[in-house]
Amino acid sequence: MSSPLLEAHDLHKTYRLGQVDVPVLKGCSLAVSRGEWLAVLGSSGSGKSTLLHLLGGLDRPDSGRGEIRHEGQPLEGRSARAFDRYRAQTVGFVFQFYHLLPELTVLENAMLPGLVPGGIGAAPARRRVSNLLDRFGLSHRLNHRPRELSGGERQRTAIARALANDPQILLADEPTGNLDAHTGAEILDLLAEAHQSGLTIVMVTHDQQIADRADRDCRLVDGVLSVAEGTEPAPLA
Amino acid sequence: MYQPLLTSRYLMTRMIPLLAVAAVALCVALVIVVISVMTGFLDMIRSSGQTLMGDVVITYPIRGIPYYDSLISTLEQEQDVKAATPVVDTWGLLRMPYPVGDAKESEQVQIWGIDPQSFSQVTGFAETLKWSEIPADTAANMRWDRMQQLAPTLVANLDLDARVRLLQQSAADEVGDAEPSVIRQLAANATRDDLARRLLHLAWQPDALRLVIGDEAMAAIDSHDPRLGERGLVAEEGRTLQRGGRAAIVSGLHVSKANERKSTGEYDISGGGYWWMPNHEATLTTLPIDSRGGLLDPKSIVLPFANEFASGVFLIDQTRIMVPLQIVQDLTNLDSADIVDPDDPTQVVGHVPAKATMILVRGQDGIDPVSLRSLVQTSYRRFQDACIEAGQSVPRLDRDPGLRILTWEEQNASFIGPVEKERELMRTLFSIVYLVCGALIVAIFWAIVYEKTRDIGILRSIGASRMGIVWIFLLYGLFVGVFGALAGICLGWLVTVNMPAIHEQMSSPPMWLGIALLVVAAGLLLWTISKYRGGQLLPVLLGTLGVLILAGLGAGELVLRSSGGIVLWDPAVYYFTDVPDAVDWPSAWITAAGAVICSVVAAAIPAARAADIDPVGALRYE
Repeated sequence: MSSPLLEAHDLHKTYRLGQVDVPVLKGCSLAVSRGEWLAVLGSSGSGKSTLLHLLGGLDRPDSGRGEIRHEGQPLEGRSARAFDRYRAQTVGFVFQFYHLLPELTVLENAMLPGLVPGGIGAAPARRRVSNLLDRFGLSHRLNHRPRELSGGERQRTAIARALANDPQILLADEPTGNLDAHTGAEILDLLAEAHQSGLTIVMVTHDQQIADRADRDCRLVDGVLSVAEGTEPAPLA
Repeated sequence: MYQPLLTSRYLMTRMIPLLAVAAVALCVALVIVVISVMTGFLDMIRSSGQTLMGDVVITYPIRGIPYYDSLISTLEQEQDVKAATPVVDTWGLLRMPYPVGDAKESEQVQIWGIDPQSFSQVTGFAETLKWSEIPADTAANMRWDRMQQLAPTLVANLDLDARVRLLQQSAADEVGDAEPSVIRQLAANATRDDLARRLLHLAWQPDALRLVIGDEAMAAIDSHDPRLGERGLVAEEGRTLQRGGRAAIVSGLHVSKANERKSTGEYDISGGGYWWMPNHEATLTTLPIDSRGGLLDPKSIVLPFANEFASGVFLIDQTRIMVPLQIVQDLTNLDSADIVDPDDPTQVVGHVPAKATMILVRGQDGIDPVSLRSLVQTSYRRFQDACIEAGQSVPRLDRDPGLRILTWEEQNASFIGPVEKERELMRTLFSIVYLVCGALIVAIFWAIVYEKTRDIGILRSIGASRMGIVWIFLLYGLFVGVFGALAGICLGWLVTVNMPAIHEQMSSPPMWLGIALLVVAAGLLLWTISKYRGGQLLPVLLGTLGVLILAGLGAGELVLRSSGGIVLWDPAVYYFTDVPDAVDWPSAWITAAGAVICSVVAAAIPAARAADIDPVGALRYE
C-alpha cells in the first residue's frame, strides 16, 4: 500500500468559550490515500468542520497535541507563508454556505484562487475555471453575481473555485447541506467526476446516504474518529 | 493580484467609501483655498513692494542725502543697474476740496516727492495710474457746466436740420414714427428754451451731441479743458505730475473719500462724477524738521490733482501722494539754497545742495536684489570717497546709522514677515483637518472591515496571506486618498479662481438665488410630507434637515441682500483691493499628497485589524 497523501495523528482541538474550555477533537487520527474519497460522518457539533479546517491548514491543533502530515511531511513548524501556499496550491475548500464574494461575478469568484500568491496566475486561472464552469453548466452565468444564482449554481461555482489551482485535495464541508436532494445529487455527481479524474476528497457530512457516495467513510463521535480496520494511519516514526 | 480587483469592487458597489472620498476632497479643497489666498496675498505684497520701490533702496530719512545726482550717476555707471531715482518722503496734511464750504476735510498723507521720469523707470508708477481719460460722468458734468454758459449761442447757431437732429436724438420715442415733414414743423416751432433744455440733456451722450451740433461747436464746448478733446492727456499729465502746465499731485486712489469702491471692483465717483479729483485742487501742508529734529514753521502750497494711482496695496493707496520732487524739497527744507553771512545777508558764503531721503534703484532683468544691494553698497562707497575727497559732507556707510541700503524685501520686512508667519500658521492650523479626515477614514474602514469579516475568512481559505489582506485595505485607502485628493484639487481650484465672483455674490447676493433655495426647500418639504405619510423615518429625517438647511440658506440670503450683503474681503483690513484668485499649485500638490498619505495611514489601522481576524471564526461569521 502506497503512503497516504494526508495523515492526521491524535489531533486535539479545544475551543475556549468564555471561561470554559470546550474540547472538540480528542485524539482524531486518519489517513487519506492519494485519489481516495473519504467521507467523515458526524452529527452537528461533533467537530467535523474543525477537523476539515485543521486538515486544510486554516486552523492549528492544540499545541503539541497531534500532527498532520502531507505527503509524509508535517505541517506543524512550517512558516505562515508555507501554510498560505499549502491552502493555495494543495487544498481546495467547499463550504456548506458556498461562501462566494458578493461583489464579484461567477467567473471572478471562481478564478480568485489563481490570483493569490502561489496561485496559477490570472490568465491560466481564467482558462481553467472557464472550462470548469462550462463543464458545470455555468457558461451562461459567468458575468452574474452570486445573488442572481440558485443554490446549486452557487455551489458549482464554489467547487470551480476550489479546483481553480488544480489542488491535490478537495475538502468539502457539507457540500449538499444547503441544497435540495436533487441538486445535492448533482453536486455529488460533480465531486464524483472530479474524483474520477484523480482528485482526493475529504468530505464531511451528517448524512449516511451522501457518505455512501465516497470510497469509504468513518464516523466522528465524541471527538474521536472510528476508522474502518486497515485504514488507520501508520504509527509515527 | 487580487487586491486591486477587490478594492475596485468594494469602491464601486458601496456608498460608504464615497463618504470617505468626499471627506478627503473637502479637506483638501479647504486647505488649498486657504493657502492659495494667503499665498496670493503674500505674492501681492511682494510684487507690489517691488513695483513701488524698485529692487534696492538707499535711505537716509529727515536729513537726506546730498549730491544725489552724482550718486545716481555713479550707480547708473554700473552695468547691472538699470536706473535710479531720488525721492523725498515726508508726512503732511492734505486739505481736500470737499465738501463744499468751510468745513473741508483733511487727510493725513505720506508725501513722496519724485522726479516722474526717472521714477517711472525704476518703479511701475506709470502703469498704476488710474485714469487714462476723464470718466464719462465727469465729462458730462463738465460739458453741462460749459453748455449752460454757451446755451444761447449754441441754440442760436442751430439751423433747421440741426434742430431736427436734436429732436430725433433727444425725443426719439416722441417723434420716432412721425413723418419727416411733421418733425421739421415741430423743430421749426420749438422754443429756444426747449431746445436749450434738450441740448443740455445731450451732455451725457457726447456722440449724439456731436451729431447735432457738429465738430466745431463740440470743440468749442471742450475747449475750456483740453483733456476733454485730447485722448491720453490725463494719463500724460499723471506721468509728468503736471496739470495745465502747473505742478500737480497724483494721489492714491483711496486718499480721496470721493472714490467709492463697489463690490465689483469698479469705482463710483461721488456727486455723479463731480468729485473726480483731477478736476480739483487741494492745499498741502507740511511741518519741516531741522537737522536736529526740531520743528520749523509749517509750509503750505495749493496744488491741483493730475491723476490718481492704484497700486493695489490699500495702505499705500489710502495714504500716499506723489508730488514733484522740487516742491517736496522746498516743503521739507531739503532744497538747494545759498548760505548767507548772518551779518550781511547780501553776502553768499556757501551753498547747500538739494537732498533726497531715498534713492530707489532698479537692477537689470535677471539680477537678484541681494547681489544688487552689494553692488549699490560698493557704488555708494565710491561716491562717498569722491565726496570726501572733494570736501563735500555726505552720510557715510558704517558711520551714520541712519544711512541704510536695503533690498525692497528687507525694507518691507515688517510688512512681509507677519504675513509669511500668518500663512504658515494657517497652513498648520488647517492641516489639523487631516486628523479629522483620518479619523473619519478609520471609522468608515472599521465598519467596512466589520462588514467584510466573512470575505476575509474566504480569502484566507484560498491562500491569501495576512499581509495580502492588509494590502486590500491599504489599497482601498490609497484609492480613497487619490480620488479624494483629485476631487479636492478640482474643487479648490474652482473655488479659488472664482473667488472674486463668489465675493461679489456675497457682497450683493442675487435675489433669484434666495428665491430658488426657498422653492427647492418647499419642494423638499412636500416630498418629506409624502414620506411621512408613508411611515418612513429616515427619509423624513433627511428631508427635514434638508428643508431646514435650504430654507435657512434662502432666507439668510434674502436677509443678507436686504441688508446690503457682506464684504468678506475688506481692503481696509487686508491691505489689497482685490481678492487673490490664483491657486498656489506647489502647496496644492503637497496638500493632495498629504491627504493621500493620511488616507493610507488611517486605512492601516483597520487593515491591521482585518489581518488579525481568525479565518475560522470569520467563516462562521454571519
